[in-house]
Amino acid sequence: MKVSLISDFNIQNLAHLLANDAKEPLCTVETADFGQGVNALSNPGLTADFAFVWTLADKAVPSFNRLLNGDAVGDGQLRDEVHGFAERVRASIGRFRGVLLASWVCPPYYRRRSITDLQKGRVKNALMRMNLQLAEEFAPSSGVHVLDAQEWVGAGGRKCFSPKLWYLTKTPFTSEVFQETVGDIKAGISGLLGQSKKLIILDLDNTLWGGTVGDCGWQNVRVGGHDYVGEAFADFQRALKLLSNTGVQLAVASKNEEAVALETIHLHPEMVLRAQDFAAWRINWKDKAANISELAEELNIGLQSIVFIDDNPIERTRVREALPEVYVPEWPTDPTLFASHLLHMPCFDMPYTTEEDRLRTSSYSSEKIRERLRQTFNSQEQWLLSLDTQVTVENLNDVNLPRFVQLFNKTNQINLTTRRMTDVQVLQWSEKHNARFWTFRIKDRCGDSGLTGIVGIEINGNSARISDFILSCRVMGRNIERAMLAVTVEYCRSRGLRDLTATYIPTAKNKPCLEFWLNSGFTFDSANKSFLWILDKPYPFPSGITLTCLGDGQPQQAEAEWTMRSSVEDIGTETSRL
Amino acid sequence: MGVERINSATLDPRGTAEKFEDAVKIIYAAIEQLNPQLAKGQQLQASLDTALFGSEGKLDSLGVANLIVIMEQKLEESYGFKVDLTEDDPFSLGSGHFRNISSLATYIFDLVQHHARTAS
Repeated sequence: MKVSLISDFNIQNLAHLLANDAKEPLCTVETADFGQGVNALSNPGLTADFAFVWTLADKAVPSFNRLLNGDAVGDGQLRDEVHGFAERVRASIGRFRGVLLASWVCPPYYRRRSITDLQKGRVKNALMRMNLQLAEEFAPSSGVHVLDAQEWVGAGGRKCFSPKLWYLTKTPFTSEVFQETVGDIKAGISGLLGQSKKLIILDLDNTLWGGTVGDCGWQNVRVGGHDYVGEAFADFQRALKLLSNTGVQLAVASKNEEAVALETIHLHPEMVLRAQDFAAWRINWKDKAANISELAEELNIGLQSIVFIDDNPIERTRVREALPEVYVPEWPTDPTLFASHLLHMPCFDMPYTTEEDRLRTSSYSSEKIRERLRQTFNSQEQWLLSLDTQVTVENLNDVNLPRFVQLFNKTNQINLTTRRMTDVQVLQWSEKHNARFWTFRIKDRCGDSGLTGIVGIEINGNSARISDFILSCRVMGRNIERAMLAVTVEYCRSRGLRDLTATYIPTAKNKPCLEFWLNSGFTFDSANKSFLWILDKPYPFPSGITLTCLGDGQPQQAEAEWTMRSSVEDIGTETSRL
Repeated sequence: MGVERINSATLDPRGTAEKFEDAVKIIYAAIEQLNPQLAKGQQLQASLDTALFGSEGKLDSLGVANLIVIMEQKLEESYGFKVDLTEDDPFSLGSGHFRNISSLATYIFDLVQHHARTAS
């Protein structure tokens, strides 16, 4: 990844630290002339994927500088200047896949501690208001993400600033600060690229609780209670639960008798995590690497998205060697460090948390219910009919954009072209190329899967091309794919188009997508790996699915709303235009 | 590479070679900390004849400034007194102590010895 560093101070030290850092994602770096400050964002010579902007508050906001010098400054002046700064940053959206913007810190060469610091009209009060305004200027889907620079400066402590370095080179922060900055830049980029970790697989004994349950019994494991070690383990579980609420799944791989371990999880009164908090488990005496592989397959999560946490260094080494794609962090021996160690790991950074993220664990439970239901039917068709599936299709809009981008970038198996785009690029593409994106929400009697399907099309003359056909593996094989095609075909027919094509771009992981398309009914051209549907006929809508199309939320597309209603018994479709 | 606190220069009974070696270790530790802040082509080898500044040196002015700041910090941590490496015409091509690692180590050794004599 190429990163442009934009600043109004000498940022070369940070540039080299970032370029030399060996952790993924590897970065090449370009720096703009720091005399231009934030205006350098509009420099046409910058060609990076991402921009990182770090300015000094007293340079970026002139009124703040007057405040530092003891002058009285009105709130309105500060607000206007912060807004002006934000506008200059906003103007750069679209040039980069994402912009990371450092918050402002109190200039390190100006430090006063005073009981009046936080009073209204004083320096630190003003700085807090400026940063709050800066953060609120940019919505999560705006393409600009504000990072907390105070964290980096705080990590540097008394070594955050070297007067000699400042006066010799105009570098306001030391390498102790910049190292933290590098970590957050990389975590931010990974998150924006959809590379954040999605599953934590945990050991149990001396990882989730203190003690070996097989030896001491569930009543005597240390978790919670009036015991500092027990409290530490309980807090570690709370930290895991916090991550789980942001969409990171939890699972267990433990060498234990399953019944004994589950009894602890069910019965110990101080356990924070219960069975329903885990998406799956393998509790047996098998090799942990094998168990982890099985869990990955059951949950349909790639090994590269998994973190394995185990107190035992031998187990950690074993898994690292057997499954190099799995991230196995070194783990402290002292349980009082577990919670903080977990919460400081940057690999879980995500630019947004969606409703689907929060409900992901319960969706695995729903899947188990569906699977049990399937086993009670003699045929796939009967089972699908019994699910009473409801599909809601909606245009891409500001509300569903975060989830859209998340699904767009992380889906591998049912993904026709495996394009990857940030939110900014998605919006740009849809505006630029007469394109259209639809989202598909799926629910049935077993649960709500949320937004789990995407179709994108591009119209050229009388023809349309499917640019993106994406479905979460959690809902594949339930005829949702056919419903998506039916909607797409019907839309193209309503526009009077002649044909609809799709080209399959193979990857290591999307063969299931090809398998669906080969059976889709589209005509296949093996030479080009392309599929064709002549639009003189509709696409058969699958039975057992109720479809609802919601109105347009995109103000820039002045099209007539198009609605479609279909019932379970009616295999044909009924189309009406408002 | 960590830097251990060295016996107070006034009380250090060790020989000249050992004291010189202390200075070299501090420089090597500083280089280890400095290198990630340098472009790949500027990064320094831990060797006595490694050129620092001048016609044969890889460091530009920013690199030298970074080295000065890191060295001064490590020297204070090691010897317990403040050192200013920008005194005594450090960048003179003929005699400046930033010519190479050996010249810098010699300068630090002399500085410490001088401090020991004046402090006792």
